[in-house]
Amino acid sequence: MASDSSEQVRDQTKRVEPLVKSPPIFSAQRVWVLMASTFTQLVRMKTFYFLAIFALLVIAASNLNLLYTPVQQLKVIRETSLGAMSIFSWLFAITATAVLIPRDLEDRTLYTILCKPVPRLEYLVGKLLGVLAVIGVALALMCGLFTVILHFQETSIIASEMHHMAQNPRFTEEDRITEAAMIAAYGPDLNLLYGVLAVFLKSAVLAAVAMLVSTFASSSLFTIIITFVVFLIGHFHKMATDFWVVEQQGGWITRMIGKVMILVIPDFQIFNISDSISSGQVVGLATMVEMSGLAALYLGLFTIASWFVFSDKEF
Amino acid sequence: MSVPAVEVHNLTKVFSLSLQRDYLVAVKNISFTVGAGEIYGLIGPNGSGKSTTMKVILGLMKPTRGSTSIFGVDSRDVRSRHQVGFLPENPYFYKHLSGWETLQFYGKLCGLKKSVLKDRCAELLAMVDLEDAAKRRLSGYSKGMLQRIGLAQAIIQRPQLVILDEPTAGVDPAGSRKIRDLIMQLKQDGVAVILCSHQLEQVQEVCDRVAIMQKGEMLREGALDDLIAVEDEVELVVKNLPAALQEQIEQLVKDDEKAQLVRVGHPRTTLERLFLSETEAGTKASKTEGEV
Repeated sequence: MASDSSEQVRDQTKRVEPLVKSPPIFSAQRVWVLMASTFTQLVRMKTFYFLAIFALLVIAASNLNLLYTPVQQLKVIRETSLGAMSIFSWLFAITATAVLIPRDLEDRTLYTILCKPVPRLEYLVGKLLGVLAVIGVALALMCGLFTVILHFQETSIIASEMHHMAQNPRFTEEDRITEAAMIAAYGPDLNLLYGVLAVFLKSAVLAAVAMLVSTFASSSLFTIIITFVVFLIGHFHKMATDFWVVEQQGGWITRMIGKVMILVIPDFQIFNISDSISSGQVVGLATMVEMSGLAALYLGLFTIASWFVFSDKEF
Repeated sequence: MSVPAVEVHNLTKVFSLSLQRDYLVAVKNISFTVGAGEIYGLIGPNGSGKSTTMKVILGLMKPTRGSTSIFGVDSRDVRSRHQVGFLPENPYFYKHLSGWETLQFYGKLCGLKKSVLKDRCAELLAMVDLEDAAKRRLSGYSKGMLQRIGLAQAIIQRPQLVILDEPTAGVDPAGSRKIRDLIMQLKQDGVAVILCSHQLEQVQEVCDRVAIMQKGEMLREGALDDLIAVEDEVELVVKNLPAALQEQIEQLVKDDEKAQLVRVGHPRTTLERLFLSETEAGTKASKTEGEV
């Protein structure tokens, strides 16, 4: 059976040509495949069930009539919806990213992927983009639902207010127009989209942090805890900068630790514009461009750091 | 001379044990070469360094000393994985994907075009006898089915080297036979195979060359027949031997000064062959009864 020497074996066999000649070193298609697979994996984990809870929450908030003024009523819907979106996004960003790589390792799926011509950077980018795709789609669906409900509430409240004001002779036409404009300022507008985009950017940075931690963490629980701590500290970034860098408070060791933390931990507070948007304040396009640029920078830096750790990892 | 499929040169792998100044030498200075189209068996007890060697070859680990290459490309270079298929021991894959989707996933990672991939998936599912389960999610697959889909994903891009770690572990005899046939088919197609298995009978059946490892060291390495041949004995297997002729042969041996008759008897079949022939006969008989 096994008597043939190598040379004889080569003579007897017809060598079958491979199906792929030479794959590129970096391939956007492979990243797309990994992203799509991660997206499918997370969707089939019933992630979008959260949307049903969100819908119930928004409908409940829109039907609350606790002696609110019309403006307050719309404000409650905006605050509840943006708050729920925010909580879903950051919870999902941390937990989903924290379990993905350890699970692949535990199931040995990672072996079979990395044994194909897949550079480790592509694997990480694909996984991260998959998580971001789920968050993006979920936020888009929630935003659509929220906008529709807010629009109906706004239309109904304006109609009701106009009806009442028309029956009262002390209100002029000008009063009615002012009131309608005031209510409409809390309806769906571009600012809401900016608010949702800010939620997405914050979650994206958080997912990148979780990915970096998971490349060296020993367990998913460790990743979740560390990322959550980074998330909390990231909300006091400005305070820490003022304390350690601007005012030069504390000893030099404390100041050095503080500076390192300021450099390493992203400033999550800059993404917190939901409160301003809920209260009807206008956020400029320039702010959003600046925020997006900073988020892209954080994403790039954390992905490169993850790659640096992951490329050296042994399985 | 063609480039070898795998070249391991003075490979040593040392693991540091946590924070202690303690080290584990998993592989000690081993060297071997696997030729193109050759089936190479890597055998040894648990903890002998087989899996570590395979992981270094696949680029999942870095060598502490020495080097490994696949078709002349260093294992640390991602391009070396272009012509490799790997089936790990007890593979799980993505449970949320069906058999078809799993092959599509790995095929796309290898850069297969859509038109080619569709036919290739269908061909491989037929080859591993999973056509009926193609649309079923892997969470509902049995151990044997997972091994077979694992083998299919390993050869999705028609690689020139396939590394199999315990491909028949936990698989029933019929499934095991099927996997053995697939390995033989790979050999016919000119694919080099590294087979790591505790089922020595199977290794003996399919391998051209074998390496025996223990505690990270290579004890023996070479062509299987050379390793297992008992140099001072000769075996004659004759079919339909008349009793008279047998007596004459035995007498001739007795008459010789040096020759010594060690044993006379009937060659034994293997339990696996007996099991397969009996179960296949049973299946055929019940089918015939059903038809009648």
